[in-house]
Amino acid sequence: MSGLLNILNNGGSCGSGDSSSHACGSGGSCGSCHDDSSASRREFLAQASTMMLGGFSLSLLPMKPDGAGAGGSTEEVMYGFLVDTERCIGAGKCLTACRTENNVPEGYARTWVERFVHYKDGRVEVDLVPETGYEGSGVPEIDPETVDRAYFVPKLCNQCTDAPCNQVCPVHASFKSPEGVELVDPDTCIGCAYCVQACPYGVRFINPDTGNADKCTWCYHRIVKNEQPACVEACPVNARVFGRLDDPNSEIRQRLAKVPTSVLKEYLGTHPRLHYIGLPQEVT
Amino acid sequence: MSGGLMFSRHTRHLWIAFFLIASGAAGGAFVRSQLVPSDFGELGPYRTVAIAKNAALPMVHQSDQTCIKCHTDVHEARAESPHQAVACRHCHGHGAQHVAEATRAAENPGSPITPAQEWDGSFGTSVDLFVTKDRATCLACHTSVVGMPESFRSINVAAHLEEQGAENVNAKDVCFECHDGHSPGL
Repeated sequence: MSGLLNILNNGGSCGSGDSSSHACGSGGSCGSCHDDSSASRREFLAQASTMMLGGFSLSLLPMKPDGAGAGGSTEEVMYGFLVDTERCIGAGKCLTACRTENNVPEGYARTWVERFVHYKDGRVEVDLVPETGYEGSGVPEIDPETVDRAYFVPKLCNQCTDAPCNQVCPVHASFKSPEGVELVDPDTCIGCAYCVQACPYGVRFINPDTGNADKCTWCYHRIVKNEQPACVEACPVNARVFGRLDDPNSEIRQRLAKVPTSVLKEYLGTHPRLHYIGLPQEVT
Repeated sequence: MSGGLMFSRHTRHLWIAFFLIASGAAGGAFVRSQLVPSDFGELGPYRTVAIAKNAALPMVHQSDQTCIKCHTDVHEARAESPHQAVACRHCHGHGAQHVAEATRAAENPGSPITPAQEWDGSFGTSVDLFVTKDRATCLACHTSVVGMPESFRSINVAAHLEEQGAENVNAKDVCFECHDGHSPGL
């Protein structure tokens, strides 16, 4: 060890001391000052730090592969969600339920309901269901005579199997729980909003109260206690169905098996676990 | 000075390189151990404790299954009714405090249960428990709106009240002249 340090010292003094006058190849007494005798202290330090940096980068290699240890548990419980657009009446019960359950600030939403109105003149207009429902909300009534067809589409987190929001998080604050629910680590999140932009369904937002990314978690704190998500509980017409995909007898499995369903933006390859019944083609 | 060394010059260079790389790796490993939380990566690329943090959030809304444990009469009244799917909290509040009190009272008879209060008219209300006969709770769903499925029993309020000959069309409880909330007999 002391030998190494000696060399380091000698190399330094030789390079910096008299490198200009020291002719290489003269067989001088300085051991490290031979072919590369012109190496200055600065060059030596540069090369040395490059090596240390190389070593440092070694330490950044993953200790174990991502998801190690999760392999067995991921298959045990897997949640799924089914929305029946043919049943939704646009009462907005799910919206207030979600807001109070999850303490969502005014002006933001974890779930919302869109109304698509196809007019006879070819226009298609989309508006948002008011949280109080349309009764008394002040939203102008539409003359049914001018409308070809209209329907409601509830939206919430798709809990994608290949979630783009998860992939872009620079601090690993966005993660998928073993049950397949995309969650945010409240202490790690830095509120950079990268995930907000990455979500193709516009589900995420930055919560002004916490400064963190916020999103629909399918009421993770409820479903782990075998309760239904607040919006499912609140829906008066059972337009929202939540359950375990791993249980062959669950209502959601039965309905997924028997009724044709689709997902939003299938072409993106995100493989959502939120399924829709009666989703018209123009809904994205 | 070269005479006293046990390595040739080239071997020494290799040792220097090895020493530098090893110290870089060791330093990096130390920094990493200080910065990366200990439970990071146990289940995946995240802190395991974050799951528990998400799961520990308070549950505000009580499920109907909780309510009908005690209110069995309501459960029976709703059993055959389309209102079976309507959550109790829509007309009675989310009831977190009520359930806590009732649970306590079941264990210690005589423990007080706060009686139901007046509804403040907001569906996002913070009133824990209320009993109301207010048309607003009915019309939130049953007012006919463009977009509703045809199978749903929606009404044009003014026309329906006139058709049924309601006495006071502006009364809060006008719907309850004919309909029971739990079993509306649609």
